[in-house]
Amino acid sequence: MAINTLSQLAVYSLVVGFIMTFVVITGFAYTTLLERKLLARLQHRVGPNRAGYIPIPTRGGKERKLLGGFMQPAADAVKLFFKEDMTPVMVDKWTYFLAPIITVIPAIFILAVIPWAGFVPYITPEGRDYFAIAPGINVGVLFILAITSISVYGVVLAGWSSNSKYAILGGIRASAQMISYELAMGLTVLVPVMLANSMDLGVIVEGQRGMWYLFLQPIAALVFWIAALAELQRAPFDLLEAEQELSAGFTVEYSSMRFGMFFLAEYMKMIIFCALFAVFFLGGYRGPFVDQVPALGFVYTALKVFLGLCVMIWIRASLPRFRYDQLMSFGWKVLLPISVVNFMIVAVMIVLVEEGVLGF
Amino acid sequence: MTGEQFVFLAVSGLTIVAGILVVTLRNLFHAALAMMLSFLGVAGIYIMLGAGFLAAAQLLIYIGAISILIIFAIMLTRRMMQAQDTPFNSQAGAGLVTAVLSFILLVFVITRLWRNEIFDSPPEVPTAIMNQIVVQLGSDFVSPGAYVIPFIVASMLLLAALIGAVYVAWPQVEDEA
Amino acid sequence: MEFTPPEINLLIVAPVLIIMAAGSLGMVIDLFMPDGKKGWAVWLAAIGLLLALAQNIALWNGNYETFIPQNGVAMVVMDNFAIFLNATFLLTGLLVIPLSRSYLQRTGLEKPEYYMLLLFSISGMMLMGMANDLILVFLALEVLSIPLYIMCGMLWPRPESEESAMKYFLLGAFSSAIFVFGIALVYGATTTTAIPLIFDAVAANGLNAMIVTGLAFLMVGAGFKVAAVPFHMWTPDVYEGAPTPVTAFMSVGAKIAGFAALLRVLMLALPQASGEWVTAVAVLSTLTLIIGNVVAIRQGNIKRMLAYSSIAHAGYILIAVAAAADNPSAGVSSALFYMFAYLFTNLGAFGMVIALERNYGEGNLLDDFKGLAKRHPWLSLAMAYFMLSLTGIPPTGGFSAKFYVFGAAIEAELYWLVLIGVITSVISGYYYLRVVYLMYMFDGEGQLITGRALQFAVFVMAISTLVLGLFPEGLFNLTAEATLSATRLLAGG
Repeated sequence: MAINTLSQLAVYSLVVGFIMTFVVITGFAYTTLLERKLLARLQHRVGPNRAGYIPIPTRGGKERKLLGGFMQPAADAVKLFFKEDMTPVMVDKWTYFLAPIITVIPAIFILAVIPWAGFVPYITPEGRDYFAIAPGINVGVLFILAITSISVYGVVLAGWSSNSKYAILGGIRASAQMISYELAMGLTVLVPVMLANSMDLGVIVEGQRGMWYLFLQPIAALVFWIAALAELQRAPFDLLEAEQELSAGFTVEYSSMRFGMFFLAEYMKMIIFCALFAVFFLGGYRGPFVDQVPALGFVYTALKVFLGLCVMIWIRASLPRFRYDQLMSFGWKVLLPISVVNFMIVAVMIVLVEEGVLGF
Repeated sequence: MTGEQFVFLAVSGLTIVAGILVVTLRNLFHAALAMMLSFLGVAGIYIMLGAGFLAAAQLLIYIGAISILIIFAIMLTRRMMQAQDTPFNSQAGAGLVTAVLSFILLVFVITRLWRNEIFDSPPEVPTAIMNQIVVQLGSDFVSPGAYVIPFIVASMLLLAALIGAVYVAWPQVEDEA
Repeated sequence: MEFTPPEINLLIVAPVLIIMAAGSLGMVIDLFMPDGKKGWAVWLAAIGLLLALAQNIALWNGNYETFIPQNGVAMVVMDNFAIFLNATFLLTGLLVIPLSRSYLQRTGLEKPEYYMLLLFSISGMMLMGMANDLILVFLALEVLSIPLYIMCGMLWPRPESEESAMKYFLLGAFSSAIFVFGIALVYGATTTTAIPLIFDAVAANGLNAMIVTGLAFLMVGAGFKVAAVPFHMWTPDVYEGAPTPVTAFMSVGAKIAGFAALLRVLMLALPQASGEWVTAVAVLSTLTLIIGNVVAIRQGNIKRMLAYSSIAHAGYILIAVAAAADNPSAGVSSALFYMFAYLFTNLGAFGMVIALERNYGEGNLLDDFKGLAKRHPWLSLAMAYFMLSLTGIPPTGGFSAKFYVFGAAIEAELYWLVLIGVITSVISGYYYLRVVYLMYMFDGEGQLITGRALQFAVFVMAISTLVLGLFPEGLFNLTAEATLSATRLLAGG
């Protein structure tokens, strides 16, 4: 596909962006199902199995239910849409209405720079190295960090505008937590940037041709993963919605689809962070035969994202929640020093290798 | 009006209106949000000037860190909704006069130089530098043939500020007052 | 990417590096020291200052430059002007440390952070004198100010100290913003921040409204730092509320650093605009002299009185700056001389205030000086001598300083400014000599709390003031050499 002018690029990005957003939103729906089913299996339960199944008659007159529950996300969506949309009287109207939207927008923004596949004929524009909504942003990593840092606003606004003590406690916890863990995340993201010598996500993926950065830098990968969990407010860092103490944290005063949007943002960000982890540490769209058949890149990305989601759900099922002071001291006294030291070691190593002092 | 002019007017309009809201809104929390919007407008202006790195840094630091910190402080210290202080005091008039006079001064300065070559053409930057802007920036910060000494001094500044912040926040043991 | 070892001579900037290193080292040592042990910090700071001073003096007459970016103009210059100012700041630090020791123990302030912040602040002041680029000037200004904001608020549960820190911080941040805006305007007009290149750009293209506006903003920013009227409003409250040793340090160090930046900008970057700035400086000077000296009369608190006195002395230095427009070498050298003499005299006076202050805020009134002469004859004599020196009565360092400043102003034909200077000096005699009068002519309960360190420091300062009063030529020759290198560019271009 030939794209030469800026307006053509804009149209291209618009179309691709629309499609990718649609894909990820569908992905969101099925991620919720994945989470419920997997959690259930990990706890020896069945999970949702009523809404939608393929009946297979058996000889005993009963029927086996195959793929039980695959319509559950649709049922959930219908339920959320038709619930009464209540607005508490004492809320701060403007910010209350804006908060869910502001939560979703950064999640969609990050999609723009993620490379989903390499150069695929017909769908990647000529002259671009990889398929993304906005390929070739040379400060992609910085863009991601910037947008991530904005995403805290949704939570804070929701918490404050609800005019409820549970909500505001959730909001305060969220802002402190996200600021604290952003530092560790930013520093570990710089490790792949230094290894690939570029802030362009596509270049980072191509830099993992020989070996995934996960194996070169397991510490960075681990720290990034933990910090990502904290940014996502996933278990064990989900104490801003800790249902036992805060009922539901910042979402407590929201109902109907407004609540659904927080839900949407959370799961979209799960998918996005798994994709980012794949890009930074798991070789992104790269895998066997991807040079011969570029379209395989989509499959590899999807596989890696799926793997990441499963691990996230597994962690949620296994680990208890942090206490607030533990969370803070872990972030500042453990993760941040580790990532700083790791960052410095990597920088020195790279210089030594380039100088020929150390050879690989 | 070209598209660029339109975007410029929109972005700078956002910056200015949000800036005015910051100082006039009665609700402190809303004022902090307006300040965030104003920072966003500035980031937009950076993008228009072709300084993508600066724009991202602006988003990361001013919106992602400083504004959130301010909002965090407001949430911790104010009653939730009743922050309805008036933003004006007895010196509002004097402040307005000063602001208008400064504005007139700057307008005067800029219009006097309107036909100067400074405004006619932006300084040319070699494309080789533009393509490697982040790398160039990074190496300039630490190379002795560029900006290493301001970089070091800035880091000392941050260290001193950090020590000070810790000192001020540390619980006073022998509290005599 | 290729890694090349830096080609810089770190010995040139070693004085600053030593101070910064000592400050950082202190923070690390503090981690491993038991809470009870605090004495090491004093020695660390003092040794750091002494080492820096030795290295600094070794660089005299070197005219070094270092950290040269692509535009070919060094970021840091180590000319005699910078070395002289560095020595001034290092001496300030060395004298403030013995003055503060017993006070800090009294008020429970004796913590390593105090000395470390003092060192950081001194490193900022030194960079102020060495900076050859407006970016670095601004950063140095902040490095010098931020530790001072904190030091002002070190006694923080007490409202006066908090007020002092808040006021200084808010107005300081505001004035820094104005200063940066001035830099931005100058950069916009000349497309450079290097001081010699600004000079070249103005020489090539002439002045325009933007440069002059930028210059005005820069002067306002520096005016805040040196506490010139009408930018002096913060001074009395901040000086009163801050812990007294911090006040002493601030009244000397921050002021001299502000003048260092002002002189570099006015004399080296924009001397062609001297027609514009000389009037402004003269007006500032007049206002500062009159208001500083007249309002000081009304003060009943010694710290407030010395605050207004320090405002007034900024006015005298501004006379020298105005004189430098027509007569660069005499103007700058007399300003340097004045600042050096002011350092000893003012710190000495503050030493007595520190000794008189029993607890924070107690014993700061002028009435507390009553009858001191009977109980502490030697120290009272020193105090009386410092007061004479601040007034400018011979044979004191203060007199020599005023003599040179007025001489430079007369050479520059600023007769009316000299007239105002002389009249306000006479006025200042009233409030300075009242302290002497109170000490010698009344009976009172006043007690000084002194340690050997403080007595020694006061003794050193009194002797220095006397030496400067009797034999000013030696120092004046030094300042003349320091000036020559600073105005070398002027002479050449």
